[in-house]
Amino acid sequence: MASPSDIREKLRKKRRALQETLVKNKNEDDVQALVPSTKLSGEKRQTTMKEPEGSEEDPGETLKRTIRAQRQRRKKRLLEQTLVQESRDDDVEEISTIQHDGAEEESAEKAHESVVSSRSPAGSQKGLFSRTQHTPSSQSQSQSLDDFVKRRLEERLRAARSKSESLQQPEASFEPASRLQSLRDRDTVTRFDREVDPDRSGRQDPPSALSARVKFREAARRVGKGLPTAEEAYNFFTFNFEPDPPDESETTSSKRQKQRKTAKDDRDEDEGDEAEEQEDAEADEDNQEENENQSEEAPLVQNAEEDLFALDQSPQDFLEVRKAEYIGYRNLIQRESDLLFTPSFRTVPTSIKLPENMKPRYLEDEGLYVGERPSVSLTNENILENRILKMEEGKKWFGDDGRIMALPDPIKESSTRPPLFHMEEDLDPALQTVYRKALKSKYANLYIAGAADPEGDYQLDVDVSGLIFSHHPLFSREHVLAARLAQLYDQYLTRQHNNLTGHLTDKLNGLRSALRNMLEIHGGQSLTQAMQQRFSEYSLEIRNTRQLRDSEQEKDRTLLKNIVKMWKEIKALREFQKFTNTPYKLYLRRENVDRASDEREHEDEILAEVLELEAESEEDYHKKLAEYNKQLEEWKLWRRKQKSKKKKRKKKKKGQAQEDTEEEDQEASESEGPVEEGPPKPEPPERPDFDSIEQQVREKASRIRRKPGEAILIPELSASGNITASELCPRAETARREDVARRSLFIKILYNDKEVSRTDSRSLNTDFRVHFGQIFNLKIVNCPQSIHLQVFEEIGSSCSLLARVFVPVPEPSVVTGNVPVEEFEFSSNQRVMFDHEGVGSDVPLSFEADGGNKQTLLTSGKLSCCVSWGIGDDDVPLAPPVSQQPGGIHSGLGRLDAVTYIGASGLYDMKKIGEWATQSRLDPNDPKNASIMQLLKVASSGEVTAPEYFRLEHLQEEFNFVTDEELERSRRFRLLRLRNQEVAEFRNYKCVPALEREVTDKVFQEYERRLKEGEIIDTKEHLDSHRALVAKYLQKIRESVINRFLLAKHHYVLSDLVIEEEIPSIGILGLNLFKLAEPKRPLKPQRKERKKVTAQNLSDGDIKLLVNIIRAFDIPIRRPQSNKPGQSSQSAIQGSDWFLSQVQVRPFVEVSFQRTVLQTTTADGPNPCWNEELQLPFSAPNGDYSTASLQSVKDEVFINIFDEVVHETGVNDKDRGKSIHTHVEKHWLGSVKIPFSTIYSQSRIDGTFKVNTPAVLLGYSKERSHGANGGYDIMRSLSEGTFVTLFITMEPQLVPGESIREKFDSQEDEHLLQASERFEREAAQGYPDRPCLTTVIDLNGKTVFITRFIRPLNPPQEFLDAFPNNPQEATALVARFVSLIPSLPDRVSFSGACDLWSTCDQFLTLLAGDEEEHAVLLCNYFLSMGKRAWLIIGTAIPEGPTAYVLTSEQSRYLIWNPSSGQYYGQYDTFCPLLTVGCLVNADNVWLNIQEYTSPMRLNFDITKANLWKPFFSRSFSHPGLSSVQPEELVYRRTDKAAAAELQDRIEKILKEKIMEWRPRHPTRWNRYCTTTLKQFLPKLEMSGGQDVTEGHRHELQSLLGDNRISGFPLHLPFSEIRPIIEAVYSTGVHSVQASNVEFALAVYVHPYPNNVLSVWVYLASLVRT
Amino acid sequence: MAELHIIGQIVGASGFPENSLFCKWGVHTGGAWRLLSGLKEGQTQVDIPQTGDIAYWSHPIDLHYATKGLQGWPKLHLQVWHQDSFGRCQLYGYGFCHVPSSPGHHRISCATWRPLGSWQEQLAQMFVGGGPQLRSPDLIYSGADRYRLHTEAMGTVELELGLIMRHFDKYGVES
Repeated sequence: MASPSDIREKLRKKRRALQETLVKNKNEDDVQALVPSTKLSGEKRQTTMKEPEGSEEDPGETLKRTIRAQRQRRKKRLLEQTLVQESRDDDVEEISTIQHDGAEEESAEKAHESVVSSRSPAGSQKGLFSRTQHTPSSQSQSQSLDDFVKRRLEERLRAARSKSESLQQPEASFEPASRLQSLRDRDTVTRFDREVDPDRSGRQDPPSALSARVKFREAARRVGKGLPTAEEAYNFFTFNFEPDPPDESETTSSKRQKQRKTAKDDRDEDEGDEAEEQEDAEADEDNQEENENQSEEAPLVQNAEEDLFALDQSPQDFLEVRKAEYIGYRNLIQRESDLLFTPSFRTVPTSIKLPENMKPRYLEDEGLYVGERPSVSLTNENILENRILKMEEGKKWFGDDGRIMALPDPIKESSTRPPLFHMEEDLDPALQTVYRKALKSKYANLYIAGAADPEGDYQLDVDVSGLIFSHHPLFSREHVLAARLAQLYDQYLTRQHNNLTGHLTDKLNGLRSALRNMLEIHGGQSLTQAMQQRFSEYSLEIRNTRQLRDSEQEKDRTLLKNIVKMWKEIKALREFQKFTNTPYKLYLRRENVDRASDEREHEDEILAEVLELEAESEEDYHKKLAEYNKQLEEWKLWRRKQKSKKKKRKKKKKGQAQEDTEEEDQEASESEGPVEEGPPKPEPPERPDFDSIEQQVREKASRIRRKPGEAILIPELSASGNITASELCPRAETARREDVARRSLFIKILYNDKEVSRTDSRSLNTDFRVHFGQIFNLKIVNCPQSIHLQVFEEIGSSCSLLARVFVPVPEPSVVTGNVPVEEFEFSSNQRVMFDHEGVGSDVPLSFEADGGNKQTLLTSGKLSCCVSWGIGDDDVPLAPPVSQQPGGIHSGLGRLDAVTYIGASGLYDMKKIGEWATQSRLDPNDPKNASIMQLLKVASSGEVTAPEYFRLEHLQEEFNFVTDEELERSRRFRLLRLRNQEVAEFRNYKCVPALEREVTDKVFQEYERRLKEGEIIDTKEHLDSHRALVAKYLQKIRESVINRFLLAKHHYVLSDLVIEEEIPSIGILGLNLFKLAEPKRPLKPQRKERKKVTAQNLSDGDIKLLVNIIRAFDIPIRRPQSNKPGQSSQSAIQGSDWFLSQVQVRPFVEVSFQRTVLQTTTADGPNPCWNEELQLPFSAPNGDYSTASLQSVKDEVFINIFDEVVHETGVNDKDRGKSIHTHVEKHWLGSVKIPFSTIYSQSRIDGTFKVNTPAVLLGYSKERSHGANGGYDIMRSLSEGTFVTLFITMEPQLVPGESIREKFDSQEDEHLLQASERFEREAAQGYPDRPCLTTVIDLNGKTVFITRFIRPLNPPQEFLDAFPNNPQEATALVARFVSLIPSLPDRVSFSGACDLWSTCDQFLTLLAGDEEEHAVLLCNYFLSMGKRAWLIIGTAIPEGPTAYVLTSEQSRYLIWNPSSGQYYGQYDTFCPLLTVGCLVNADNVWLNIQEYTSPMRLNFDITKANLWKPFFSRSFSHPGLSSVQPEELVYRRTDKAAAAELQDRIEKILKEKIMEWRPRHPTRWNRYCTTTLKQFLPKLEMSGGQDVTEGHRHELQSLLGDNRISGFPLHLPFSEIRPIIEAVYSTGVHSVQASNVEFALAVYVHPYPNNVLSVWVYLASLVRT
Repeated sequence: MAELHIIGQIVGASGFPENSLFCKWGVHTGGAWRLLSGLKEGQTQVDIPQTGDIAYWSHPIDLHYATKGLQGWPKLHLQVWHQDSFGRCQLYGYGFCHVPSSPGHHRISCATWRPLGSWQEQLAQMFVGGGPQLRSPDLIYSGADRYRLHTEAMGTVELELGLIMRHFDKYGVES
């Protein structure tokens, strides 16, 4: 127990126990657990260690033992790890080991640390870090182990090193820096602790420890020889030789218990211990060093002493009481002065600073640049110098000038760093803050409402400019007069300025002239009511104006008189008092006038006035007279009444006796009449006295106007006079002046009765004017209610209120800067009297010598000031809104002031101003109104009509070259734009003229017509209204589909843009090399792949169609015309043939494409072999060679087989024999049609095609040659008809347009779509050449699962009824019906964008569709007829990828071509179907996974899963998809009449066409033949073109006798007229040159249900022989 | 009804940190201009020069405008992008220049810039590519607020433009 290692170990156990409790329990417990240990350890360590051990049930104790036991086992491993410590990177090592600990340990440790750090660090940290060494083996000291260990060590060390290194590196990198830091910190603490450790160990048992150490050393030395380094060994052995404390018995006895208890912990601790031990090892390492230094020297003993004796002695023994030590200040100073040096702050003389006998040298004076020294205060510098001088070599710090050496001041005056603007980090403007001042409190009730923005305070500017007294108590008499004079003069000036007189005179003149004009114009004639009204109005106006003018003139005149009078008075006064007080002087300027003109004017004026007055008085008189007359009338009436009454009364009085009672009342009433006195007799008006009028006028004129010829007097008041100096004045005056000088004035400004400001006080001048010139800006919050100014007079220190002036609150529109200063008069009723010259106030005053005519003058004056609203920084008036104004201001005056009437804002509204102007009847001549009138004039002229809209860039218009309309109108631009937009008409328009005029309107005609007639259907072109409708409908669908694909079409593939040669790979090279060795076979040429060319940079003539016609089989042969005389010659030719029995035919092939016709050479026999290549040029519509355009080319290649027939027209008789005329005719035998689109999409067509031969070929028989003819026999027996082998391609090879597999929206289940995608992908990967379809796109552009299209649908009933007993026939009929529906490839109608599937009813409505639609319909019909039918998705010639129908009948399979209605057996050689990709029926889709794709080699048993892969299998069952097809098809019966009509029209058109094609020859029609043919056609229709040949031929032969007939019926499904014409043209019947040829043409249209029409054209040419 | 033909090419770009570049371009005009034919925006191929710093595109520009006023003279705005070895594209620069207003052949070099972003973004850009882009690329030719952006100068794009003007003299525009 005594050994330090043991204690350490115990400590460690303890710690672990604590840790565990830490982990498991709460912090409180931890603290409790910790506290004792820390406390105790501080006190006495030994006891601390022991205490836990003493307590029996301490978990730490039990734990400890378990672990110790385990450690024994792990000893070896641990040894290695301790060696690992050798590596330098201690920190990292620590981390790596701690990493091993696992989360629990780590967290525990952390928790522990945290707790510990709050405690006293020394004790607790020790607990953590003094956990000690591994328990070594019990025989630690035994030397026997050494060798063994040494060897092991050598081995393991190496391994461990490498391992630890590899461990260290990755783990160190994981660790964040912070963690590292903390660990490092801890490490230092550890060191601190360790210092304690050895102490303790020393204390415990110093001698033993020492001895142990010595031993360790020895051991180390011994070991050192064999080990890599001595240090390693040393370290190792020091750990290893720690004495082993545990008593084994105890350990084993409690082992079980412990194990049970800590089974779980063990695992953790296994790792944990390792880590700890490593740490411990490290700690010990340190210890070793420390021990070397410390424990082996003195300190150990010292410590031991102290500690040892401390227990035995009492405190008293160590203590003694002493008094505080004090050293006196003086002593202190003295002592310090010995030690310290205080440099003086006196200036050091230069001589000391410099070396002896050296004069200071000033570089500056010598002209050298010396930088400015940094400023140091002189005192500091002195101190420094003094100190330096005391130092050794102090002088070297001084420069030549005796100052301390210093670098120039390094501080630059200006900052070199540019100001750094702190940019907001791209802060969203919305997020940025705006600094606002502190908010003021809300306003009280009185405050201006709506002043939400406290910053928008209102501001009143009060400008107090000055004050003029019109009377002041200190006025002298002269002053009074002068003031009056000045006042008068002012008045005069203002009047003069306003020039009211002149203005009124003008107005009067104007009115007069207007009146005169009116009179002149309407002179004498009766005036209308309105005119009279105006007339009178005018005269009234004239009168008023005249009166006004007169009064004004009078005023002017009196004013002038007064001024002169006043001046005279002043002069008199000045005379009298002998001095002048005022500087006023009045001059009267005389302006001479032309006397004559003046007089004339005067006279005119008077005359006019007189005239007017006369007229007025005349009128007046007339009025009065009229009135008088009226009154007179009334009076007379009254009189008469009166009289009659009187008479009556007399009468009545007579008869009063009789009717007394009755009359009485009456009398009473009547008697009242005279009593109530009648109107007085009116006085007749006096006639106006015209003479007197003139008199009056003259009188008045002389009174108010200057006399004619008199000079105009203009007074001029100047203040240039001298004022007599005070010395010269009498005493009283001097006193007055002194008094004046004493006075001063100031003005208070009160706002809402509160003083807000006051001016400076200014002294009163001798002229009694005060100038303030101050402006006060009042920031107001309250509503302005009153503003008044108080004028105060100051005499000495006392001041008195002189007067108060009320200033009105300005209108909101009154804004500083635009308001003139106004003058407000004020007065005061103070009574002031003086004993000097001052006149005083409110004192009677007389200027008369006699003292009469007294005047009482009150102090009064004028204050010039103005109040206005301030203007803010942004020119916004700081005025409250108008509504806030206290009412009462808007009174009657408002009308006249435009601003108040409209409001300031209305000033910009022309309309309002106009309204106001008319309402207020502005005088247009009034100069005040001049600006308004100007404005109104401009406004009313319509030039500046206020626009209703707001324009952003109003100046843009001005800079525009042309208007929009003009730009739109430009035809050239329109053409260019349309071309750019790829409008169909202009898509490939090559040249747009450079000049506008060269673009004619004609260009657009077609386009515009199309736009206009978009809806109108042209029936003429279509022959059939239904089809026209359908065509329209199709067009619409097409447009919508194209729009849908527009975006997808712009998707380019790399190959569209880049043509890249394929880089030959090794494999290809090898093959090529191999080919070189191959035997050349020039007789078996093979086709090579060619380069593909994108269609974009092609032009006309670049593309050629190559048609290689190889051979044909079974061409019909000529029938020997037995009854013909010409037979002999023919047979002669035949006879020359190698095969005599063969009936001759000389076929050749003619290929026509885009009206280019080429033909092969003529071959012989029914099985000819041409092997010729024909090149046909191809030109795209509009020269547009884009993919889309090429795909929509509808042209077809016609391959016609003709028989060349040579006729000898007989020997020319006249010349007797030598010349023989031959006649070459060609007879059409059959044709193959291949659409260009097929060639384009397939890029090549190679195969044997069945030739479309007419049902009847007159003159030919299809009978097979009876002779055996090589190996063809077998094949021929299998099929009927003629075949031709062709190879067609294009040069250069064009890249066919990719059909876009866009993702379409779908209503299908997502699972299904995914499954189908997978299915198709797998098919494409596994069998790239087998077309596989599971989803298709319907007409609405939606993806639909293919099986939904298959559903039994009823064929037209009449077909079923036609052959009730023969289902075979019915089937054929149905197939024929389906084939009669015209075929229109999707890629033609939808420009190759996609393959759209329509349902059967849509198909029957559109009457146009692809092979798929045909196949679906046929399949559905077959299903409804009870057959087993499938849709075959495969490839065929010439269609390419297509759909066929497969039926199963009596153990054999039939393949139906839905577009031709023909069927083939499975093993038919000439079946056009080449590959079978998959089969579809209503329930499932089967993919062909057989080896072959050719139907001949296929097994169609779909039940075999190894042959056909089903889409819906057991794993993915059919989800019960409903069909998209209708339940039942409804058929309309076709109108027979319409069919007949169509028939006639076709016939007519064809006849015209044939005649057109024969422009040089007459075309004769054989009617007889035509009728015969016509009868024959229905029969053909009935039989479906079969089995009528023989009978018909005979019939014809018999009918037409000696005519050589060649002809055939053509059979076509009807879609348009154009294909029919093409077909007829391609037969070349019209090209018969014989002069005596006749033609027969018969057309038959057979209607089938639902407007399906079968067209038969029977063409024949008859040559009379 | 003056007309303007802009015919030329975007020759290439140089001075960018990497040289596997392509360029998106567009022409912006005012309301008075009407495009008669041609494509007014597009994108060049990626050029990965084997040698040298300059990426050559030689991308054709062929535009035909009609205008009724001078306002909104066509401006060409460019975005240079870089395609790195992983096939990722990142913005390398925005540029903008006016189409010259005098007829004839012009060689224009358009300097480009790119938004810098915060240091985190720059760090991310260094390691994982990408980079800050303008949220509204209109800012290239219309931004009044561009001074707020922290940008970095990138390379220059070379353009060769030939201009043909027609009927401008009719409206008093001398060229």
